[in-house]
Amino acid sequence: MGSKKLRRTGVSADICERLKRHQVETCQDVLSVTPVELMRLAGLSYPAALDLLRLVSKACVPAVSTAWDLWRKKGELCFSTSLPALDRLLQGGLPHGALTEVTGPSGCGKTQLCIMLSVLATLPRTMGGLDSGVIYIDTESAFSAERLIEMAQARFPEFFSAKERLLEMASRVHLFRELTCQDVLNRLERLEEDIIACRAGLLILDSVASVVRKEFDTSLPGNLTYRSNLLGQEAAVLKYLSQEFCIPVVLTNQITTHVGEKVHCPQWNQADVPAEEDSGFVTAALGNTWSHSVNTRLIVQYEDTERRQIVIAKSPVAPFAVLSYTIQREGIRLEGNASPESVLNQGTDPGLQPIRVRTGFIYNLSQATPSTC
Amino acid sequence: MHRTVPSLPLAPSVKVKLINAGFQVASDLTDMRPLQLCKEAGISQEEAVEVLQMLRDDGQPHQQRAATESLTALDLLHQEQALGSIVTFCSALDDTLGGGVSMGKTTEICGAPGVGKTQLCMQLAVDVQIPVCFGGLGGKALYIDTEGSFLVQRVADMAEAAVQHCTLLAEDTEQKQALEELTVEKILSNLFLVRCHDYVELLAEVYLLPDFLSKHPEVRLIVIDSIAFPFRHDFEDLSQRTRLLNGLAQQLIQLATQHSIAVVLTNQMTTRVSNGQSKLVPALGESWGHAATQRLILRWEGLRRLASLYKSPSQMEATVQYQITVQGFRDASDEHRPTPDTSAVSSQLGNHSKRPRTEDLS
Repeated sequence: MGSKKLRRTGVSADICERLKRHQVETCQDVLSVTPVELMRLAGLSYPAALDLLRLVSKACVPAVSTAWDLWRKKGELCFSTSLPALDRLLQGGLPHGALTEVTGPSGCGKTQLCIMLSVLATLPRTMGGLDSGVIYIDTESAFSAERLIEMAQARFPEFFSAKERLLEMASRVHLFRELTCQDVLNRLERLEEDIIACRAGLLILDSVASVVRKEFDTSLPGNLTYRSNLLGQEAAVLKYLSQEFCIPVVLTNQITTHVGEKVHCPQWNQADVPAEEDSGFVTAALGNTWSHSVNTRLIVQYEDTERRQIVIAKSPVAPFAVLSYTIQREGIRLEGNASPESVLNQGTDPGLQPIRVRTGFIYNLSQATPSTC
Repeated sequence: MHRTVPSLPLAPSVKVKLINAGFQVASDLTDMRPLQLCKEAGISQEEAVEVLQMLRDDGQPHQQRAATESLTALDLLHQEQALGSIVTFCSALDDTLGGGVSMGKTTEICGAPGVGKTQLCMQLAVDVQIPVCFGGLGGKALYIDTEGSFLVQRVADMAEAAVQHCTLLAEDTEQKQALEELTVEKILSNLFLVRCHDYVELLAEVYLLPDFLSKHPEVRLIVIDSIAFPFRHDFEDLSQRTRLLNGLAQQLIQLATQHSIAVVLTNQMTTRVSNGQSKLVPALGESWGHAATQRLILRWEGLRRLASLYKSPSQMEATVQYQITVQGFRDASDEHRPTPDTSAVSSQLGNHSKRPRTEDLS
């Protein structure tokens, strides 16, 4: 809206000419100056400058609606994750028009969750899906088409018994491989056409952190601000896309070590935690500003060598909660979540929530079947 | 009338021509006729008329206005008492704020991610609609969302809880009648929503707010959530950002005082590194700290959420604990309240009476 040219807004031609001489051609240029500056640039009196600002504002102001209009489209507000306990907590599923971030240590299941959501999005609405395409932007080359097929067959065996259905599902997932920050940003800025062409109902970016962290050394001066600006731009574009097309956006993030005092977190009370008294602890990467930009943050972490946990660390609708899961052939399976005590009315700063990393490995050579990833 | 010509709010080219023609002070221009001014200064006829009209508005009516517009502090006190405030449903926070979020002022809410800024804003957008007979303001709200964190399911839950709250309080016929009209549907219909994607749309919306408010005079609350996000990543020229933010702050203060509405802004926190230590401070720079009249900082302390009143012209600095429950923004202590007794519940609607405050000053 801001890039609308002035001559299309009803501003008189000679004012447009005068402004053009000062490189002021779009609505954004006009609104980026103060009224006094505009007086000088356009050669107008103060009241006339204010009128000009109002006229230009009318051309690019967004429409006003009411919360009731939004509420009436209730059925289309969430994307069910097919994990009942998680859907219940999130009041329906992943919200449309908002960014959901999944963060955690490597090997915990972030990409598995993304692949599972891709399968779900292509399902018909009667089965809880979105009946739409999926745009998957992969920066780590971690997406595996074979895993996609395997998961679809294992999770919905009757539906995907016919081979054509599998192929059709696979053809609806559109994969983009981008390997640098600038590539990712360029892709995002041109994504509108792709979303319309693929009729996409889900956008996945896996992962945000990998490209950013390998290109920016934050110990160098100036890099931190540049990185924050880039992330802010990415977040703004993603929010715009998710809002305008009313689709959920899922991002993945990595972890980093935070040096400082450990923050108490509720779920550690149940397990017997070894007192790892370092001066640092592991938390979500990309900093405090990024934590503001995402609307929902799900942390995946290790509970013990077999089981993992999903923690709802930041959500506008859900309380702080912890759910256990394992990774099977059919994707994520929630288990052992009968007790509702894990739901609290408290929480911690989602930017400082400590995350449990893998501390032990199974080296069982006698077990030939690799059941965990 | 001793105003010099360069200081008048006229177009620069007109000012240059007037000065070249020898007019230095505004009083030189007062007795001129348009055609004469046109010939002497070499400006067009319309410009001459504009100049003379501006001088006429600048002169007498201004002095008259100055005489009538000075208020005594007593008048101001009556006005402020009649205005009321918007409760937050957290009685500790309401006490700290002196009854709730004040009308006619801008309040800024800063906080770390996930601490409850959007929850508080949504709660206020619901609370401003509580009918007058229950001690509320019975007004509408405008929610300007720049981050996409407004989720209507949550507002519906809060509206439901507020309606139940009022149901428990209803005693006489007037309140019961108001309660019949207070439904979740009505609360959601009275909540106007604008989604701005960048700072240009936000500035455009604020320039058009006076028109909006004259079309919808029942709007008593404007929420901008958040004002930080659009301004934090698009600007290489930080001084331009400061100028735009200052202009924005001024416009919002003007709106708040002229229309007697409450303006609530949300700000983010940023990390500042000093002496090898990093702290969280409110974003948008030091000069933004002067923009809002009242400043509330929400933060985490371990597992608790705390709210501190950081800057206020009338209240003392204080820190209280609050929590976010299924019903919304609440006190920290009332975790499980299945059937609250009416006396405790009525105190939550503010420490003033359920009726609008009557004149108790003679």
